[in-house]
Amino acid sequence: MKHKLLPLSETMHYILLALREPRHGYAVMQEIEKMSHGDVILAAGTLYGAIENLNKHGWIEPVGSEGRRRIYQITEEGSAVLKAEQERLLHIISLYEGSEANEKI
Amino acid sequence: MKKFRIFFDVEKEEQWLNEQLQKGYRCTNISSSGFYIFEKTDRNYVMRIDYQDRLSKQKLEGYKATYEDFGWNYMSGSWMSGVRYWQKEADGQNEIFSDRESTGNYYKRLMTYSFWLGTMCLVFSFLLYSDSGLYHEGLWGMEGSLFWKAFLFESPFVLLKLLPLILVILFGRSYYKAYQKYSMLKEQ
Repeated sequence: MKHKLLPLSETMHYILLALREPRHGYAVMQEIEKMSHGDVILAAGTLYGAIENLNKHGWIEPVGSEGRRRIYQITEEGSAVLKAEQERLLHIISLYEGSEANEKI
Repeated sequence: MKKFRIFFDVEKEEQWLNEQLQKGYRCTNISSSGFYIFEKTDRNYVMRIDYQDRLSKQKLEGYKATYEDFGWNYMSGSWMSGVRYWQKEADGQNEIFSDRESTGNYYKRLMTYSFWLGTMCLVFSFLLYSDSGLYHEGLWGMEGSLFWKAFLFESPFVLLKLLPLILVILFGRSYYKAYQKYSMLKEQ
């Protein structure tokens, strides 16, 4: 069976992408707002829960702290998840783009 | 302003608190015994309740730091419960959950909370009711006005004795309400 966090939700996807660079929670929210052109603005509880969850599954890890704030970064396992998601999404996009790409697979 | 309230439903509590805030108040203290203290303000505040239990000291710090970065102020509730009160000045971002998944998880936590409190009250009820009836045995043998006098005298105590059972019903109801919201979010 698939991992319970897969396919990645929009929130999880953006957080993993933002954590390719080490960041603390609030900076993750700001980065996501920028990446999504203001479309995705995470609330405090959603961000907290998602980071806890990703950390629990070992897809991100704490790499330091800045005052009371913990700084997180994606792990190798998390990067592998992103890679697999990228392939899945590319395949879906290829289906959008016509039957040619479809036949190759 | 000091108000006394007891809630068995976290969502109702949140609603009531926000009604007070909309009247031009800001909450300054919540005591575990049921007192809410407000002060007048000309600014607009919102309150959101989260439920998070079993946070270690270190986790609680991280939890608080995250919310505080978003402008929320922590107000400690009762020491043993996981009910967490967050207040901030109203602006464009007044929610603590922004997606369906995290809102669903919140209702799931509320379900667990009501379930355990309800179960505790249920066990207590069994202990309380199993060894004796609600009214004194001798009462039923009495006649006429004596019976009614004794009946009226005992009734307040009986109500008190029924309290755990009433609590079971109240917690059961808030469990069901949280369950309904949770399954609605899951379905869509």
